[in-house]
Amino acid sequence: MPLVFADRGTTVTIKKIGGKPDVKQFLEKLGFIVGSDVTVISTGGGNLIVQVRGSRVALNRDIAGKIMV
Amino acid sequence: MNIVDGTNLERNLYLSTQLAELGIPMVMAINMMDIVSSRGDSIDCRALSKKIGIPVMEISAVKGTGVREAIAAVKNQVGHSAPRMQNLFSGNLSAALSSLEEMISSVPAVNGQNRRWYAIKLFERDEKVLAQLQLSDALSKEIEQQIDAVEQAADDDSESIVTSARYDYITSLLQGVYKKKSQGKTTISDKIDRVVTNRFAALPIFVVVMAVVYWVSMGPLGTFLTDWTNDTLFAGWIQGGLGDWLTGMNIADWLVGLLVDGIVGGVGAVLGFVPQMIVLFIFLAILEDIGYMARVAFIMDRIFRHFGLSGKSFIPMLIGSGCGVPGVMASRTIEQDRDRKMTIMTTCFVPCGAKMPIIGLFAGALFGNSGLVAVSAYFIGVAAIIISGIILKKTRAFAGEPAPFVMELPAYHLPRFGNVLRVTWERAWSFIKRAGTVILLSSIILWFLQGFGFADGKFGMVPDNNSSLLAAIGSGIDWLFAPLGFGTWQAAVATFTGLIAKENVVSTFAVLYNYVGELSENGEEIWATLAASGDFTQLSAYSFMIFNLLCAPCFAAMGAIRREMNNAKWTAAAIGYMCAFAYISSLIIYQLVGLVIGEVTFGVGTVLALAALVLLVYMLLRRGYQPKNENRLRSVEAAAK
Repeated sequence: MPLVFADRGTTVTIKKIGGKPDVKQFLEKLGFIVGSDVTVISTGGGNLIVQVRGSRVALNRDIAGKIMV
Repeated sequence: MNIVDGTNLERNLYLSTQLAELGIPMVMAINMMDIVSSRGDSIDCRALSKKIGIPVMEISAVKGTGVREAIAAVKNQVGHSAPRMQNLFSGNLSAALSSLEEMISSVPAVNGQNRRWYAIKLFERDEKVLAQLQLSDALSKEIEQQIDAVEQAADDDSESIVTSARYDYITSLLQGVYKKKSQGKTTISDKIDRVVTNRFAALPIFVVVMAVVYWVSMGPLGTFLTDWTNDTLFAGWIQGGLGDWLTGMNIADWLVGLLVDGIVGGVGAVLGFVPQMIVLFIFLAILEDIGYMARVAFIMDRIFRHFGLSGKSFIPMLIGSGCGVPGVMASRTIEQDRDRKMTIMTTCFVPCGAKMPIIGLFAGALFGNSGLVAVSAYFIGVAAIIISGIILKKTRAFAGEPAPFVMELPAYHLPRFGNVLRVTWERAWSFIKRAGTVILLSSIILWFLQGFGFADGKFGMVPDNNSSLLAAIGSGIDWLFAPLGFGTWQAAVATFTGLIAKENVVSTFAVLYNYVGELSENGEEIWATLAASGDFTQLSAYSFMIFNLLCAPCFAAMGAIRREMNNAKWTAAAIGYMCAFAYISSLIIYQLVGLVIGEVTFGVGTVLALAALVLLVYMLLRRGYQPKNENRLRSVEAAAK
């Protein structure tokens, strides 16, 4: 499922990253690569704050929808 | 020395792997070790050092521990070899990179030290490197074959393969090195984030925080500081003292006038804002330093996205409410070109500190000092931003959506005194600096223009400024503003001096309405004169106010726009847009409201206003320019800071 639907407080593993090549590479450089664990810290209206590879990243729903977990 | 944030180790090591490829000797200093250990985590520096083959030191820059040892390690490392992260890439990726290195070894720009780096960049098909190296077609083809083979095998694109390899390597590096005690436990940052970015509570919390900030800096404390600086420091001590001293020295009256009223008065009026602004900037700097501003950008993104701006545009606007110059400069943190340009074009619509006196003057003179005028000014500013956002995003240059919001959030921490002061000072200084330059010069010129002119056939000091040079200039351009309801030469001149600095508007009116004496910030002393002069009705005063709030900002802010745009065409477009928008807004309001309340008779102006309104509505509602499948996400490095 897309990361958007992950519940607050849960930790999920990234299965696939979609989107156009540059969006994908952008995310990968931040640590969103297949196999990374992502913890959802906060959700609001589809926008998320997550913890990935030790850093905290805010994502809007468009981007969060491209990350399959 | 490569300083690494110990609280965000994985991501920082990712950047370190890239740094290592440059082939330069390195010492790694892991910073914020105090926070790492207070969390109960531990990093085994010795083991890490062994794995990557360079010295790894623990430091805490805040507490100053370990810094000396780290510097000593750097001295030791001079002349040594670069870190060897030879296990970084493995399998066919490693093989491909090695053969790439061999292929390019004869290219002129490549040497033993940077060969690895070039090989990786070529593998990632980095456009800049490709353009720089100018490889022959045969070589490019060979390289492409290598890349293709690896991509086929991994079923992924080359850049992603490299990124994944780096993170895999880091995972292996940290095994047995980085021990986390807090696994699964929520940190304080987590808890704060759950509250302040909560779907329902986020906005109310933000509004309360901002209300407190503005109440303190614009309210009692700020007013007190401003009054003290203006009335006591400048008017009393400096201006008064200087005047007495100069008169005592038997210096010609006109020179005393120039020095005391022209220069000190003009510059002092500007510096009077500084204390208030510093208070505001201190608060904003604290909010930034503790990490709250990054969350604000995140919260506001949901709203700003609707009119084509990114959440990151919000911080420049907040700062712009103090002074537009640092506001425009703050747009630098927006990495995407389109979003940044749009932010620069709209930030100056926020009424800055220097525009408040204009509002104060007219509110006092014609609206019975109603607070609603100031409130409406902020609403107009916000409306201008929203309308502009929607109009601009439908133009060809700004087509498309703002960059998807991805932003690394720093962990919350207590404000660091030095940081807050430095940021505050940098911003306040950009404001103060112009007092010594642009405003000093303009004060002298203005003083001259309004005091001298042709009277009785000869040039000299004129007793009545109606015959001054300034009046002549003003009369030359005042017809421009007639459709907006303020076509007097005084208003034209005031608008013009407002371009030099917005706070000049009030003092210009004072001079032009022959007020002699000390003027308070909002021109309280000339309220009655201005009202009695009959030059302004409530409506035309409001129209004047709108025009001056929205039109091109002061010289200093225009300078900032030019620096940030770094392009003459865009600068001209931004300033031209603001002026046109201001003119159209004032025209519509003056003519159409005037028609309704009977102040304006139907004429050419009204037709123009109606046409402008139709144009505005069309620009708002039309279907925007549709880009052909464009892709707009760029560089991550800046965002990831």
